[in-house]
Amino acid sequence: MLALEMYRSLPRHLAGKAIGGRVPGILSGYAAPLRLVTIDEPRVEREGWARLRTRLSGVCGSDLGALSGRTSLYFSSLVSMPFVPGHEVVGDLLEDCGDLPAGTRVVVDPVLTCAARGVEPCEACAAGLTNRCGRITVGGLQPGLQTGFCADTGGGWGEVLTAHRSQLHAVPEGYSDEQAVLLEPMACAVHTALRSGIRQNDRVLISGAGSVGLLATLAIRNLTSAGEITVVAKHGHQRERAFALGATEVVAPGEVLRRLRRATGAFLVKPEMGSSYLLGGVDVAVDAVGSKQSLETAVNATRAGGRVVLSGMPAAADLSAAWFRELEVVGTYSSAQREPALDGRGAFDVATELLAGDAVSSLAKTIAAYPLHRWREALDHAHGAGRLGSVKVAFDPRSKR
Amino acid sequence: MGFLAESVDDVRTMARGWRWGRRSQVPRSAEEFVPPARTTVFRTEWARKRGGRMAREAAQKGVLDPLMSSQVRRRVEGLDVLSRIEGPVIFVANHASHLDTPLILLSLPDEWRRRTAVAAAADYFFDTWWRAVGSAVVFNTFPIDRRGGTMATTPGDLLDQGWSLVIYPEGTRSKDGWVGRFQLGAAYLATRYGVPVVPIAHRGTFAAMPRGQNWPSRGRRQLTVRFGEPIVPERGESAREFAPRIRSAVGALLDEERTTWWEAQQRAARNATPDPSGPDIAPWRRVWEQTATLTAPAPTGRRLRAWRR
Amino acid sequence: MSRPGFVLEVDDRTPPLVVHEGEGFRLENFPLGTRAIYPPESLPAIDDVDGAIREALLHPVDQDPLPAQLRAGMRLTIAFDDLSLPLPPMRAPDIRQRIIEQVLTMAAEAGVDDVQLIAANALHRRMTPAELRHIVGERVWRSFGPSGLLYNHDAEDRDNLLHIGLTDQGEDVEINRRAAESDLLVYVNVNLVAMDGGHKSVPIGLASYKSLRHHHNAKTMVRSHSFMDHKKSHLHHSAWRMGRLLKEHLNIFQIETTLNNDVFPSPYEFLMKREWEWSVKDQATMLGMRRALSVAPRRLRHKMFHDLRAPYGLTGVNAGDTEGVHERTIAAVHRQQLVEVQGQSDVLVMGVPYLGPYNVNSTMNPILATCMGLGYYFNSYRGQPVVRRGGAVILYHPLDAGFNQLHHPSYVDFYEEILAESTDPVLIEEKYEQQFATDPWYIHLYRTSHAYHGVHPFYMWYWAAHAMDHVDDVVWVGGNRRAAARLGFRAASTLSDALEMVSGTVGTDPSITYLHNPPHLIADLT
Repeated sequence: MLALEMYRSLPRHLAGKAIGGRVPGILSGYAAPLRLVTIDEPRVEREGWARLRTRLSGVCGSDLGALSGRTSLYFSSLVSMPFVPGHEVVGDLLEDCGDLPAGTRVVVDPVLTCAARGVEPCEACAAGLTNRCGRITVGGLQPGLQTGFCADTGGGWGEVLTAHRSQLHAVPEGYSDEQAVLLEPMACAVHTALRSGIRQNDRVLISGAGSVGLLATLAIRNLTSAGEITVVAKHGHQRERAFALGATEVVAPGEVLRRLRRATGAFLVKPEMGSSYLLGGVDVAVDAVGSKQSLETAVNATRAGGRVVLSGMPAAADLSAAWFRELEVVGTYSSAQREPALDGRGAFDVATELLAGDAVSSLAKTIAAYPLHRWREALDHAHGAGRLGSVKVAFDPRSKR
Repeated sequence: MGFLAESVDDVRTMARGWRWGRRSQVPRSAEEFVPPARTTVFRTEWARKRGGRMAREAAQKGVLDPLMSSQVRRRVEGLDVLSRIEGPVIFVANHASHLDTPLILLSLPDEWRRRTAVAAAADYFFDTWWRAVGSAVVFNTFPIDRRGGTMATTPGDLLDQGWSLVIYPEGTRSKDGWVGRFQLGAAYLATRYGVPVVPIAHRGTFAAMPRGQNWPSRGRRQLTVRFGEPIVPERGESAREFAPRIRSAVGALLDEERTTWWEAQQRAARNATPDPSGPDIAPWRRVWEQTATLTAPAPTGRRLRAWRR
Repeated sequence: MSRPGFVLEVDDRTPPLVVHEGEGFRLENFPLGTRAIYPPESLPAIDDVDGAIREALLHPVDQDPLPAQLRAGMRLTIAFDDLSLPLPPMRAPDIRQRIIEQVLTMAAEAGVDDVQLIAANALHRRMTPAELRHIVGERVWRSFGPSGLLYNHDAEDRDNLLHIGLTDQGEDVEINRRAAESDLLVYVNVNLVAMDGGHKSVPIGLASYKSLRHHHNAKTMVRSHSFMDHKKSHLHHSAWRMGRLLKEHLNIFQIETTLNNDVFPSPYEFLMKREWEWSVKDQATMLGMRRALSVAPRRLRHKMFHDLRAPYGLTGVNAGDTEGVHERTIAAVHRQQLVEVQGQSDVLVMGVPYLGPYNVNSTMNPILATCMGLGYYFNSYRGQPVVRRGGAVILYHPLDAGFNQLHHPSYVDFYEEILAESTDPVLIEEKYEQQFATDPWYIHLYRTSHAYHGVHPFYMWYWAAHAMDHVDDVVWVGGNRRAAARLGFRAASTLSDALEMVSGTVGTDPSITYLHNPPHLIADLT
């Protein structure tokens, strides 16, 4: 089968890290430690595993981070090289899998939990908080925090991958593939909303209006009783979408602090040789990008005692405000199979409901799908997705165009 | 647009807008607001400094004098009066041609010539920089306003500094060679500063190069110039009283020029000097008479020669 | 002798005319038949300034001589106009300095001990010590500045404001407490334009927001035709009511001065000359300046312009009772600035220069440029506007200066947030003015830093409200397109493009009038 494979390459990693920020072209060119290969289909000979044929698989920010070497080396022991990336997957089952017959269209919850690894459930898994599973390096699989980072399971950027029954969610009738591929990120957004601890009428800042930020806006608007939601958007089309998904205010990156200062009656302070910050500000800030700038914006715009939610994979940033302003900095990773805040319902179920809306289906229409052999184009597009007017770039391994 | 292209554009805009190389114009609707007497005072002090003097000496002796000799013949009479007085004085002459100034200046003894400035109409000689500079260097001109009535301040200053002045009281060149009305400027200066007036009468320049001509006619015409006795304003004499005396002195000199000194003296004593403005006859006859070829009497012996230079 | 102002009709003999545009000039070839209004030439200045001041103080209008009003043991307060006047700032010594020095001399002779000096900056930014010193002079500054007796008025210092009462129309009159509780308040004004002075001095210069909002609002400004004519300005009517109420409570000794039109110092005097009278030197200077400006870095250009100090001459000084004094002052201002103009035109063209009242030592941001063009210049008329109702205004300004974060913090938010939503003065006022006026951060910056009050950008917008209401189309020549769009206007790169753009409003062959200022002028269309 044909697949894109990520492999270990020190020079590429360093090149990407060194100049990827300035010359984005190099990340889809020389520096990408990715290759199109013909490999054997992945197989896991254990109860509950089945193969599925990829229909669409999204390119996530974390994928781009890994390819460009921006991801922290923290994760290096949680993956097994070489692997086929792609954890936002919608595909057709090639075999029966438990109660799901072959041919069922499914999406994958990528976390490789105790159940998938065939070990005794850890404490987190037993409670249904599968994203917090502690056994992701052991058991019957090579290390890998998710499908798409594990050498044994394959990933969405190949024609075929394997998945465990516990990871699969059948896609209801009436959903397009494009909508379905947004289910996984939507579930993450649901999880983010639940982790944000937003109270009645809280003012929320969402820094970033890519797919993570937009879906988080939708989730927070629908699942919490947030008051004003301010979204930071760089590009024109993001403005419209953010408003459609429930933002009350959309601002450009350069204006954020001033606008929030005005809105919250805070005081703006400018330190020597650093970025300005607010004394006062929003109750909850969600960083939906993960860059240093975005993270600092979130931290600097939050009132004392407020909460900062890390939804993007965070870069190193100045955390002085977190200490001085006694911020609650919470991470939000993937989604849980049984969300405590939803009385044990799964994030995917809720995500499926949220995705039915018009705003999301119009979002889904902007997904740009590429065949595997045009991966360089696809990555290039993904790097500039915001500017190019798409919310998500995906691979369609069935396509030969 | 690059800097260069913009610069070219700017220069072009200004050159067209302000008519570079041509006379500037006033928008019609703004004409009534243009100040009536635009005395653009052209400074001429530099022409009387050392550098200016040297340039003038070279221009007058090196160029102008040979040029005059090549184009006209000159006869000078009565220079002896200058040996009897001290400068500064005001030379007052009739005015018929642009040749008058070089004729008079070059007739003067060098030490007088070098200390003499010429009053020139500001509106003609000083309205363009090149004409102003040229005339200031060659003729040592200074601007006076011939329409304003009051003279600019400089003539008095020049007299104070010991410069003699050449003034044409008519204020303009004669249309037919005869003498016109005298304005009061010279008389005013003389009475105000108590300097003598040396009348000068010349003939032939109208015939050689009248108005409208900018080069002497062919054939080396004869010019004559005659200096008269200095007249000094009396104590308390006003410019209005003094001016007629100047005019009649010039008239007497012209009479002398036409006839003889003795006859002219007699007529002057009888108060019968012919009016220098000429007979009241048809214009063509006036011009006719003035353009008659002058025949210089043969030099009358050695005595006169001794008086030249 | 200075010549009167006049209306030039552009014909084929007319050279290009200077149009100011921010930190630069344009030489514009106006279409034939365009009327260009020139201000009167600068009037001769008073030679013996100190003598004239003394004369005014000793023989005031409808009041006792100043020395007779001074006595030992009294509270004397001297208030003076802030750095928004005159424009550009006056070359030292400032006229206010010379007056204050004489007033203080008389006070010292009379044995007055309790003297304070207050800059009547209302909601304008606090001035720096250097700026204060430039206005009052070194001697006054040294005597009062360091000891805190010479200071900026603080319209947000509740403890030091005194509510005097309500006018018959229910307007709050609230001014500086020290000024209100003084035995004598001497106000030293510079009456640069006809809008200044009179009862605009004390009731506005020393007022609080609570008092100002009664006349500084869109409704008042739209009905002030124009605010340069205090008899027809609702703004001034309100101020006059307040002033009359104030007069019942405290003694005000008003000193007003008028200046001539000597705006530009050497070597820029030619900007005050009529173009066809430019000498070769003037032309060369203009050419050289244009070339230099085109390559000069922005900082240098800014410095070049903002370092200009005007060699203004004094044309009159009057002291005494406010209304009597102001009548004489206005007459002097009119003598210097009034130009008779026959009939309105379809299009009004104005060049917005580098400086307005609110960007001295600062940058002219797009809001201030709008206020300058559609506010001050548009309203420089008496009788009726120079442009007909439903006509078009064409302004010159690059609109690219950006915002000064120190001086204009609220402007940025106003521009990015409020103007993005609406440019309608009335709507903006209703929805947002209170938010900005009461924002604690703006208040903090106004009181402690050098920021204009939070509500100030709104006032700028109200200033332009009459023009926006009156004309249908506004185009900025040479303006930044995005900025112009944000302001609710359009931008063009040349005058002919602009005329093309407004042809939908005024047709293809409109009558055009160009206001040739600065120097200041008032078009008289009565």
